[in-house]
Amino acid sequence: MAEAALRGLGSRQRSRRLFAAGMILVGGLGIVAAAAPWLTAYDPDAIVVPHYAGPLPPGGAHPLGTDTLGRDVWARLAYGARTSLFVGGLAMTLSLGIGVTVGLVGGYFGGAVDTALMWLVDLVLTMPTLLLLIVLATVLPPSLLTIPLVIGVVGWTTFARTVRGEVLSLRERDYLLAARALGASHARIIVRHLLPGVLPGVVVLAALGMSGAIGIDAGLSYLGLGVPLPTPSWGRMVSEVQTYFAVAPWLVVLPGVAVSLAVIGFNLVGYGLIDLLGERRG
Amino acid sequence: MAACAVPLDPPPAGPAAGANETPRPGGTLRLGAAEDVHTLDPAIGYDTGSWAFEQMLFNTLVDYDDGTNIVPELAESWQVSPDGRRFAFTLRHGVHFSSGRVLAAGDVKYSLERLLRPALHSPGAEFFAGLDGVDDYVAGRVTEVRGITTPASDRVEFVLAAVDPLFLHKLAMPFASVVDREAVERAGDLGFRRQPVGTGAFTLAEWVEGQRMRLARNPLYFRSGLPYLDGIEVTVGLSDQLGWFKYQRGEIDISGVPSAEFARVVADPRYQPLLLERTTLRTQYLGLNCAMPPFDQAGVRQAFNMAVDKPRLLELIDGRGVVATTILPPDMPGYDASTPGYAFDPRAARARLEAAGLGQGFATTLWASRDEGSMRLAQSIQQDLRAIGVELALKPVDFPALIEAVRHPGMVPLFLLGWEADFPDPSNFLIVLLHSRSRGTNNNAFYASPAVDRLLDEAEPLLDPARRFRLFHEAEVRIMQDAPWVPLFHPVGFAIRHPRVRNYQLHPLRPSRVETVWLAG
Repeated sequence: MAEAALRGLGSRQRSRRLFAAGMILVGGLGIVAAAAPWLTAYDPDAIVVPHYAGPLPPGGAHPLGTDTLGRDVWARLAYGARTSLFVGGLAMTLSLGIGVTVGLVGGYFGGAVDTALMWLVDLVLTMPTLLLLIVLATVLPPSLLTIPLVIGVVGWTTFARTVRGEVLSLRERDYLLAARALGASHARIIVRHLLPGVLPGVVVLAALGMSGAIGIDAGLSYLGLGVPLPTPSWGRMVSEVQTYFAVAPWLVVLPGVAVSLAVIGFNLVGYGLIDLLGERRG
Repeated sequence: MAACAVPLDPPPAGPAAGANETPRPGGTLRLGAAEDVHTLDPAIGYDTGSWAFEQMLFNTLVDYDDGTNIVPELAESWQVSPDGRRFAFTLRHGVHFSSGRVLAAGDVKYSLERLLRPALHSPGAEFFAGLDGVDDYVAGRVTEVRGITTPASDRVEFVLAAVDPLFLHKLAMPFASVVDREAVERAGDLGFRRQPVGTGAFTLAEWVEGQRMRLARNPLYFRSGLPYLDGIEVTVGLSDQLGWFKYQRGEIDISGVPSAEFARVVADPRYQPLLLERTTLRTQYLGLNCAMPPFDQAGVRQAFNMAVDKPRLLELIDGRGVVATTILPPDMPGYDASTPGYAFDPRAARARLEAAGLGQGFATTLWASRDEGSMRLAQSIQQDLRAIGVELALKPVDFPALIEAVRHPGMVPLFLLGWEADFPDPSNFLIVLLHSRSRGTNNNAFYASPAVDRLLDEAEPLLDPARRFRLFHEAEVRIMQDAPWVPLFHPVGFAIRHPRVRNYQLHPLRPSRVETVWLAG
């Protein structure tokens, strides 16, 4: 018994530490994104070398060198944080909005409504996501909004399923029966009583969804389908320079590391929250 | 930090070129290709990949020397009538198809009539539509083209409906290759794409689609002692980068040099003697759609000509070329350096935009191929235009989609494309790309000027080069004033050879020929 308690304590400390590490990474990302204009003197899209003769190595006026067009790599990385947060944030918000609504409505009303909505979830789940993403990204006009819309519209199913499961268990609680008996409207019950109940789980999903969206955006950008050029995006920064790996390895490594750190950061926050919230409830 | 770059490996080892080497027969030349060859039927192929191998398997009546001069090939000699409408060829004797049959004049006639058959859908048919009687033949009213006759088994005569100064150049295109009639009839038109039989220096030995192709020496080839090589082996599926790695490992004999490595390779004395370089008859350009506002105003188009920093674009392609100020490439016969271009002058460009009522700038879309090289050029142009207040959205598309899109009027306001000459003649740029009758095919700028059309129409049938070139020059001057294009640069071709490869040269108009290539010990 004592052993189990100790182990529990150890893992609780570990998850707090991991959560803290995640918050530091995410916070750092947020600061770089917000302060990008003050962190670099260069316009990330501007060609800053007077004559292009290959990428410049890190050092001097360009702390991380210049890319294969003669643009400042640090400026593009810093502004790229904005792109990642914008794309990830918008995609996640959209997924969250659709997913939570579908989950709440389906779980609360049950019956035919639920069956229809879950059928829709299954339909979206059976579609080959990457293929769908590529088709939509090709057909839609190039815009900063295209990719987050596409990721958001494809990625809401997990939110819907999780929220619905939670609602099914909340639905039979006494306070809900009381609210219904008192004649509260459906909308009031859903917004006032069910939504707060599913919120902790949604926060966790939001953090994980954010990391997923940033990863997918990097993947799509790598395939040349990301945000329109010349907007800096980490995935595109990797794909643009892959043939330069032997000549200028830093060009490939730096944005790759940035993507990894952002994804790891949001994942740590998400999993940390699962542990911490579970702890509070338990 | 520069030290963190991986050092450049040495080139593959092999015998250095010595003085007075004599060609050594034997060996297999190993080549790489990104994609499978589209077809080996010379009536069908219209791309560099197909042409490279068609010209190993087939011959034409006439061909080019190392440059752009016409020389005899299957023809021993020819006469042109004073009016320029009759061509009489005497065939070389003792030429055999690789099947063993002796070449006769009837084969030449058969090959061209096959090309002209509507059911074959040959993209080369248009080049021979000027032969007398083609209309009746195509309409099915007759079974032979009147303008092609065979007075003797070694004589072929052509009669043209109208004078065509380019007829010999058209006969030098791989479309006019002489095919073995019996082999075509055995394999069928579709089968012949995979089982070609010609008079060329090589024969097809094996073709595993998507993987490899092998060609073997044709022992019956009419030039005695040639080819030196026993065979050629092509590995399919090698991207530029992969081909370069395989070259460095000594696994292929000829490769391109990827952009990332170019500066290091050129600077490296170990590689320098292995580099091959050749100017080509190509122009890369930014096309402005004259049918779409605001590019219907010449002032806006001129402003774009002044706004693009061409020397920087050249830097972005590793300096592999020369800046273009005119439409015609410098090696084109009839090229005239006195054609006025536009100097890089963003301030003057702004003034032109203001004069056009667009001083506050505007937004438009540039379509370009989605490959990394084109995207770099497009982004550089995007920055140049931002400096004069024009916001360019980039539309990256696959190359076939780009070629298709630019043909639709009112669809593509700006596009990045290049053109490589089919023949060394100004008409191949000025008429094919800028005559109003070419709208819908290759005049993707939808440029239409009655004055220019008149000059081009007048120049087209002229046999006297001096008068012809003068009229083309006048047309080019007017076109540059109207500015439907921003000519960007004329690329130079580069390749690198394995040290054992001898006598491999790049050609200004065609893929490299390999019949005189040999491999040192």
